[in-house]
Amino acid sequence: MLNLEQYELGNGLRVVLNEDHSAPLVAVNLWYHVGSKNERPGRTGFAHLFEHMLFSGSQNVGNNEHFRYIQSVGGVLNGTTSFDRTNYFETLPSNYLALGLWLESDRMGFFLPALTQEKLDIQREVVKEERRQHYDNVPYGTSFERLLNLAYDPDYSYHWPTIGSMEDLGAASLDDVRDFFNTWYRPDNCTLTLVGDFVPDEAKRLVEDYFGGIAPAGAFPPFDLERMPQGSERREVFESPVQLPRLYRLYHLPKMGAADWIFGDLLSTVLASDKASRLDRVLVHEKQIAQDVAAYIIPTEASGMLILQATAREGVSIETIEQEIDAEIAKLARGGISEDELTRARNRAEIEHAHHVENYDERADIIGMFTTYFGDPEILNTWLEPYENATIDDVARTAAQYLVPENRATSLFLPQS
Amino acid sequence: MIDRTQAPLPGPPRPYHFPHVTRATLANGLRVLVAQNHNAPLVSMRALVRSGADHDSPDVAGLASVVADLLDEGAGSRDGIKLTEDIGLLGGTLGTGADWDASYISLDILARYAHEAVEMFSDISSRATLPPDGLERVRAERITDILQQRDEPAAIAAKRFSGLLYGHGPYGVPMIGTADSVARISADDVRRFYRDHYIPNNTSVVVSGDIDPDQALKLVDEALGNWERGAEPPRPSIAPLAFEANRIYLVDRPTAVQSEIRIGHVGVARSSADYFPLSVMNALLGGIFNSRINLNLRERHGYTYGARSVFAFRRSAGPFVVAAPVRNEVTTESVQEVLGELRRIRTGDVEDQELEHTKSYLMGVFPATVQSASDIAGRLLDIELYGLPESYFEHYRESIGAVSKDDVERVAKKYIDPDRALIVIVGNAKQVREPLGTLGYPIHELDIDGNRIA
Repeated sequence: MLNLEQYELGNGLRVVLNEDHSAPLVAVNLWYHVGSKNERPGRTGFAHLFEHMLFSGSQNVGNNEHFRYIQSVGGVLNGTTSFDRTNYFETLPSNYLALGLWLESDRMGFFLPALTQEKLDIQREVVKEERRQHYDNVPYGTSFERLLNLAYDPDYSYHWPTIGSMEDLGAASLDDVRDFFNTWYRPDNCTLTLVGDFVPDEAKRLVEDYFGGIAPAGAFPPFDLERMPQGSERREVFESPVQLPRLYRLYHLPKMGAADWIFGDLLSTVLASDKASRLDRVLVHEKQIAQDVAAYIIPTEASGMLILQATAREGVSIETIEQEIDAEIAKLARGGISEDELTRARNRAEIEHAHHVENYDERADIIGMFTTYFGDPEILNTWLEPYENATIDDVARTAAQYLVPENRATSLFLPQS
Repeated sequence: MIDRTQAPLPGPPRPYHFPHVTRATLANGLRVLVAQNHNAPLVSMRALVRSGADHDSPDVAGLASVVADLLDEGAGSRDGIKLTEDIGLLGGTLGTGADWDASYISLDILARYAHEAVEMFSDISSRATLPPDGLERVRAERITDILQQRDEPAAIAAKRFSGLLYGHGPYGVPMIGTADSVARISADDVRRFYRDHYIPNNTSVVVSGDIDPDQALKLVDEALGNWERGAEPPRPSIAPLAFEANRIYLVDRPTAVQSEIRIGHVGVARSSADYFPLSVMNALLGGIFNSRINLNLRERHGYTYGARSVFAFRRSAGPFVVAAPVRNEVTTESVQEVLGELRRIRTGDVEDQELEHTKSYLMGVFPATVQSASDIAGRLLDIELYGLPESYFEHYRESIGAVSKDDVERVAKKYIDPDRALIVIVGNAKQVREPLGTLGYPIHELDIDGNRIA
């Protein structure tokens, strides 16, 4: 059990403290409850572009100085954007806690005075290069984007990935940056987590000093979109410069944390995780028709997704791969799983959770996640309970209920003919 | 009220100590290192076999890593599936692999099952069955991996760069082999490599995490004390090629929307007495986000999402390389900017503050990189692999702190050579060929397999 203390500042900033003196370090972690989910068509990729902008300085911190301040004292830092949230974090030698709080509060409260068109133009180019490097210039790079396009209707914002489109990145203006900041980057839309070597009373005083004076927004635009059931399978075949055919599948699940999402997590481990897992064993090991298979779920807040992928061996058709996968899923849904399979899947969840709390930085990050998505950091200490309580019937029933054609989108990547 | 216009001053620094390490050498020559920590209920076990792909002869390149891939295909009385199932029942994750310097086995396990897991760890280290049908499957997968790399610009660039620098031998031929060399690997080759190299007197075992050191030593001794020693393998030597002037190799990838740029030359061995000055110099040049090369290409020009420089410290001198993926239109400018930074660092224009920031980064960041059981295990493997002093990591931060401006200038002049650099570009030749010509360096065009095209 990890000892967590949570409280709220007058302006609504949620603070979670986890005191731990095993290393002379402190992790400072902020989760802003905004992501690509809160973008609108025509401005896709904006939440992520904005994340880049937040490293370009604020009223009392020069351009690129944020990185310099932290790196020059031996800190590590970054930020990431996903569908539902944007996080910013640094791990510092613990005597520099105040430095981290100063930097984070300066950009939360005093970002706009330092904003310039030139900074936006540079970061726009950097993000375009990020898109080229990770999506457009690598094999299968656009697979997730294609799958999302297929699985979600255009007005539902999981329809596009966080990187956004080149056109929309080009269209983002300084006014968009200002609006986005004023709408979302407020203390009452943020969770600040501190993990590590500090004295709680002193940390609380510093947090109040640096963040207490920043004005709240009071209210935020609600995310009230509902994902409509697909009704039938959605499919596409896409030819691109790749050597081997690959199948991508998205199955819709309930949102993260729901009982069936947990069972879906266990199910993905039973399907594809190590060479004794179902799809690995049959497709890769025994029949040797697939080069690799993978199954995983994504921690999404609004609605859940289980992703499957498999690469065909040379000379094997993608139809063969798809038939074998469907046959294995049907077998699992009909025949269930063994107690040993469930134990192994639970163990894997336990190991992953243990790795998440092992380092201060990751621990702070999942505390931020639990607080942001579920309103309660204590879930950190009870997260594994539903995994422990899951039964073999739960997992088989989840397969039978969700891993069906009318609940899936399938994107097939084929080598260009 | 706080003064926001000034960065707050730090409190007094808190002491840091690298975890205490318990060491033993068993009668058969196996070295054992144990470090305890309680961050999570996990134990990391590692075996380091001090032979890697540097032992592969070019005709069977990929052998060391194929052997490593085969270790989990069966060990002791278990076949590969049974081994995986039983490890899974203990909450374990097994990994095996090889790099240029060594072969590795890693088993991360829930601490409460460490006792049961040691038996399987010992089987994999000393009683792998290396079944022939497993070899055929691993071979087919490997050849497919090699095929898939033909689409990956970063992999193509790395492969061409190494090949042009080191030729047809270790460090030059890919570590994972070529389609032809992998096809030639026989079951005998595999058995011989395992027999000759996986021996206790060529191996170190590291156990770290939530386990009592005495108990860990006892477990390892019981499980691996009977492992039979063998003749210690000789150390291979590596002979790089030399370039007398800058030259460009342009690998045509007509679909490219970015150029993958690699610029560099032969670097330095891990054992170099200049290791610490080089680490500081490289961090300042291109090793960290706020380094000169990244700030120039990314933050000043917006050419790239990230550029970096690396010295690949290996047992013999690995490459020094600057890597940058940039958009097609700015390929030539990016090459110029990188060469400019390589020239500048040799002029000794390093500023006091820049040096202090870089050093304090490397010193301060060290504790953050050794938090988890597997982080600590990794550091102990470095000590074992490169024969570093026992107290090496206890004094790591002082060694960085002792690097002076003169040291940085000296090693930059000695080890960075922007006039004898190999420049590899994987990109759209039609678009970048002409602008690259303005640099005045000879340009050789290659296809993605490295064949010259006229």
